[in-house]
Amino acid sequence: MGHGHHIEIKQENFVIPAKAKTFTIILMLLGLVLTGIGIANQKSHSGSSHNSHATAENTTEKHETPAHGEAADHSEHAAASEHGAASHAEEHHNVETENFGPRMEYHEQDKPWTTKIWANLLVAGYFFTMVSLCALFWYAIQYAANAGWSVTIKRVPEAIFTFIPVAFVVLFVAVLLGKNDLYHWAHYEHLGLKPTDAGYDRILDGKSGFLNTKMLFILPVILIAIWVFIGHKLRGLSLAEDTASKGDVTFFKKSIRFSAAFLVIFGFTISIIAWLFIMSVDAHWYSTIFGVYNFATSWVSAIAVITLTVMYLKNQGYLGLVNQEHMHDLGKFMFAFTVFWTYIWLFQYLLIWYAQIPEEMMYYQIRYENYKPYFLANFFINFVTPFVFLLMRSAKRNSKIMVIIPALLVVGHYFDVWFMVIPGVFGPNQHIGILEVGIFLVFSGLFAFWILNNLTKRGLVAVNHPYLEESVYHDTGV
Amino acid sequence: MGILDKKLSLRNRNKMIVGVWEDEDALMDATSEISHKGIAIHDIYTPYPVHGLDRIIGVKRSKLARVAFFCGLTGLILMTTMIYYMYVIDWPINVGNKPVRFTPSWIPVMFEGMVLCTAYGMGFFFFWRNRMLFGVKNDLLDERQTDDRMVMAVELSDSINEQDLISTMKNKGAVEVREFHHGVQTVI
Repeated sequence: MGHGHHIEIKQENFVIPAKAKTFTIILMLLGLVLTGIGIANQKSHSGSSHNSHATAENTTEKHETPAHGEAADHSEHAAASEHGAASHAEEHHNVETENFGPRMEYHEQDKPWTTKIWANLLVAGYFFTMVSLCALFWYAIQYAANAGWSVTIKRVPEAIFTFIPVAFVVLFVAVLLGKNDLYHWAHYEHLGLKPTDAGYDRILDGKSGFLNTKMLFILPVILIAIWVFIGHKLRGLSLAEDTASKGDVTFFKKSIRFSAAFLVIFGFTISIIAWLFIMSVDAHWYSTIFGVYNFATSWVSAIAVITLTVMYLKNQGYLGLVNQEHMHDLGKFMFAFTVFWTYIWLFQYLLIWYAQIPEEMMYYQIRYENYKPYFLANFFINFVTPFVFLLMRSAKRNSKIMVIIPALLVVGHYFDVWFMVIPGVFGPNQHIGILEVGIFLVFSGLFAFWILNNLTKRGLVAVNHPYLEESVYHDTGV
Repeated sequence: MGILDKKLSLRNRNKMIVGVWEDEDALMDATSEISHKGIAIHDIYTPYPVHGLDRIIGVKRSKLARVAFFCGLTGLILMTTMIYYMYVIDWPINVGNKPVRFTPSWIPVMFEGMVLCTAYGMGFFFFWRNRMLFGVKNDLLDERQTDDRMVMAVELSDSINEQDLISTMKNKGAVEVREFHHGVQTVI
């Protein structure tokens, strides 16, 4: 480019500032303390509600709604009986209605107090797995689309997607330990009922070809292994490119091939993770758009995390080649996919509404009737606020707004995943408490530390990338 | 397009000096040089976007975004009115006992109507403002400005030294310099 100013390209090496190290460690410790308090609370609370018959009855009655007409009958039953297989089987039998098949009935009292820990670990593990995965997706898209603008920030997603295995281990452990309490169908699977038995559930039986323990434990591991392998390969190629001679495009071309392969595999398989881990919490429920919805949630969060990391590095005086033009494009990305998320959020409901499938409404019924403030908060945090604040061009170039909004989006979408899981597991009377905050803090601290630590492992500038110069002089126009 | 056409047409402006370039780097240099002299460049026509040119010649931010907002608003109001008239006033239908007034099924209609009006509205106003609508007599300064040449137009005024401008253009790699006045071009 012939215009007057010339930008010098030089390698930068990131060193974690002491402040950041302390901050992430404090975040984790604080989170651990809060988690501990939360667990203790949970334990003592659950003990009291189990022992006294009256408390259990009160809780249920308080939350009785027209939708849960049989709740009163149930509370006696549930509180009186132990958590035996027989009681569960009978419950299903009781709520079987002629038209709609069995409906989920919720009994927090039936679940051991540890369920809440597994559920929150499931949320955290799932959210951070998906966010790291979507960072890899972002990275692959840049290669497959031949994008030039993003080269100056490509080391950021490269650092983020190394978190996939860590988060997945958390997810896996949570599911391994809490499977029978989290997943209705896993419990049902143990009963091994035949069509003639009392308590036979034809929906769960019909799904058992896919929704079974073997699938739950084997399929995600295979998928994650494939994704992590491709991610590892891409990272290796990127590092090899740095040390190669200038103008060598073999690594670039190989990266394109791996990225394209990843995109195809990811596109076909990402829904499976969402179905197995999250949708199966509401085991009787079908939603064909659920995979897309989960992708939208994690994709927005991944872009937000990338933006936050870029802004942090920029604040610390790194990434000298990144300017407002790149920020603007990240802002546009975030804005566009916030709207995309809302579109899917609404259309998941609309598909059911249009098609007149009342039995599929249970997912929304409990979330709208018993969790209205949460339901509306989800919409306001994840759509209205970012929409209003990111709409203007000047906002996307404002370094304060570009920190606040992505941070809000990460929290908001974590909450969105929480909101998909918790009402499905526990029924109507749950709240965000110390345990939720604690677990979120632990994992966000770990995530932040992991990203920063990985950023130190290689130079921040992909000096031999063929599109680096295009990215340096990137211009979105007046 | 009467009034706007007359005002915007290059034919109805003062005498113009037109420089033609083949190379974008040379054009960029020439543009910087000419603007540094304090000469206001009327416009530069290029077959593809040349990044950075807009900032040098001080192009103002396009008002197309505002146009888009109002087109979207029009679409939203139009569609809401339409569907309200159809669903509520003219022919209410009971579909599985769903409510007749504002229902979720209105949202896609309103949204898509808004998008439609925004897209068509922006397209229309963009072409209108750039004098590219059907029936507008366009004034290409050079046939090849849509192919591989870049054309700079400077409108002359009392403060501009014409000879100096022409020599600057030639020195800075213009393959051709012309004079354009009321639709007539003369090579200098």
